[in-house]
Amino acid sequence: MPFVEDPAHLSIARLKSDLLAHNVALPPAASKKEVYVELHLKNIDQKNAAEFSSDDEEETREAARESSGFEHSRDKDPEVTQMPDPSDLTDEYLREALLKHGVKAGPIVASTRTLYENKLRKLLLHSNGDDELYSDSEEEQEKRDDIESACSVLEEQKPEEAKKIKGENDKADLHFHRRDYSYQQCFLLSSRLRAHPSRNEKPSSKSLSKNVTKSSERSKSKSSHILAGVSKASSTGQHSGLRSGVPPASKTVVSNDSSSFSSQTFSITQMVQEMESRGSLSDCTVKELNSSRVGEHCSRSYRLPQESGKPILKDLFPDTKPTTTGIYVTPRRPIKGAAQRPVQYSYSYPDTLVSPVTLERREVERRLVSIHIQILFFFFVACILFYIYVNVQDSTVLALLDSFSHCFDKEGWAFLQPGTEGTQAVCKQD
Amino acid sequence: MSSTSQKHKDFVAEPMGEKPVMALAGIGEVLGKRLEEKGFDKAYVVLGQFLVLKKDEELFRDWLKDTCGANAKQQGDCYGCLKEWCDAFL
Repeated sequence: MPFVEDPAHLSIARLKSDLLAHNVALPPAASKKEVYVELHLKNIDQKNAAEFSSDDEEETREAARESSGFEHSRDKDPEVTQMPDPSDLTDEYLREALLKHGVKAGPIVASTRTLYENKLRKLLLHSNGDDELYSDSEEEQEKRDDIESACSVLEEQKPEEAKKIKGENDKADLHFHRRDYSYQQCFLLSSRLRAHPSRNEKPSSKSLSKNVTKSSERSKSKSSHILAGVSKASSTGQHSGLRSGVPPASKTVVSNDSSSFSSQTFSITQMVQEMESRGSLSDCTVKELNSSRVGEHCSRSYRLPQESGKPILKDLFPDTKPTTTGIYVTPRRPIKGAAQRPVQYSYSYPDTLVSPVTLERREVERRLVSIHIQILFFFFVACILFYIYVNVQDSTVLALLDSFSHCFDKEGWAFLQPGTEGTQAVCKQD
Repeated sequence: MSSTSQKHKDFVAEPMGEKPVMALAGIGEVLGKRLEEKGFDKAYVVLGQFLVLKKDEELFRDWLKDTCGANAKQQGDCYGCLKEWCDAFL
């Protein structure tokens, strides 16, 4: 593979191999490096004659190489202004370049060379591109990801609508380009919800209408969550004076609602601020909340105040009829929690309902009687031995012992009694 | 644990010896022929390339794609097969 390099910086062995590769006759073995360099320059570098013709270029190149370590060659790519093309580098320089980018390269041989060159190109492009387009490209990428993730759920149900929504979101992205990511979720959801009710107006077939109604139900349930957070945010964040009446409602709402939209509240506050900027609704909604029956409705899902000044709510719920109090109630699915979960015992109770402690006590009690007997017997024997020990000192011990043995022989063991008088009395009978 | 094919299991079960390149997981007849044309006629030659690339996944996959035109799944299968073989026998 031909690549541009300065022959003066190559070793003699390398120059030899290059000359052989290009079928150039080698000079005598003892010749100096300069000879090899000249041959190299003549034959191999003729292909790139425009660059290597003058000595001045070589000198400047050498100076540049000393500082950067790379050859100064023509710029193939306009993006690579600082680094030369990786294919122009020697193996060592290529490895150095990769090391600068944090890549520890293995042996750069014929089969691996192209791979490492491509890798270096990718790294150079990234390093150049990141400086200019870093933030935008990432934002765009993340927005795309968000849109795709949101639409992937839809695509499972209706690919047509998902595509349309994607188109809408792409347009919306241009509008939301400047804003934070926090807007992403809420606006996507709102736009998706907006798209769903709009489908209600054009049911092309029965199946489609069924799907649409299902989706609208889902969207409504989701929108109720979102708008619950909206009204909660509006009530808590906007009017401090009316907080006394509102907190009980908001607290119960918090307890009822799942934590799913807690992540959305921070964006919903922004939405609310926007809504305020459009029309002054929050005053009316909070007043309505105060006047309404807070206690009854708190247990259910949160109400949705609607007014003509709020275009978002209109879009979301075009079908709902406005009530006198402006309160809308949507039933909520029961929370599945530990309360509904039946208590399950891993083991079954034994028939007698006896704990292991009582069982042990029973076993002990069985032995208690025998233990009593054992203790009595022990004391009995101890007393006998004690008496014998006491009586050893007396002279009549031998006589007693004889009498003992005599009594044992005749009367048996049963007549033996602890008292010495008894034994003597027994033995005297003989 | 991700599912591995029978070919993978057979290859990883014993030293590769003189097995042909088509014995590698992910390398079928078509890819095997392309590799053989390039000179990689035995599995150990591909192993050699794998080792020269220091067992780097990205580089090896790129090399496979460039050499025989393997798709992502085939690349992954071959890489996994060789990696596991190396873990077991190398």
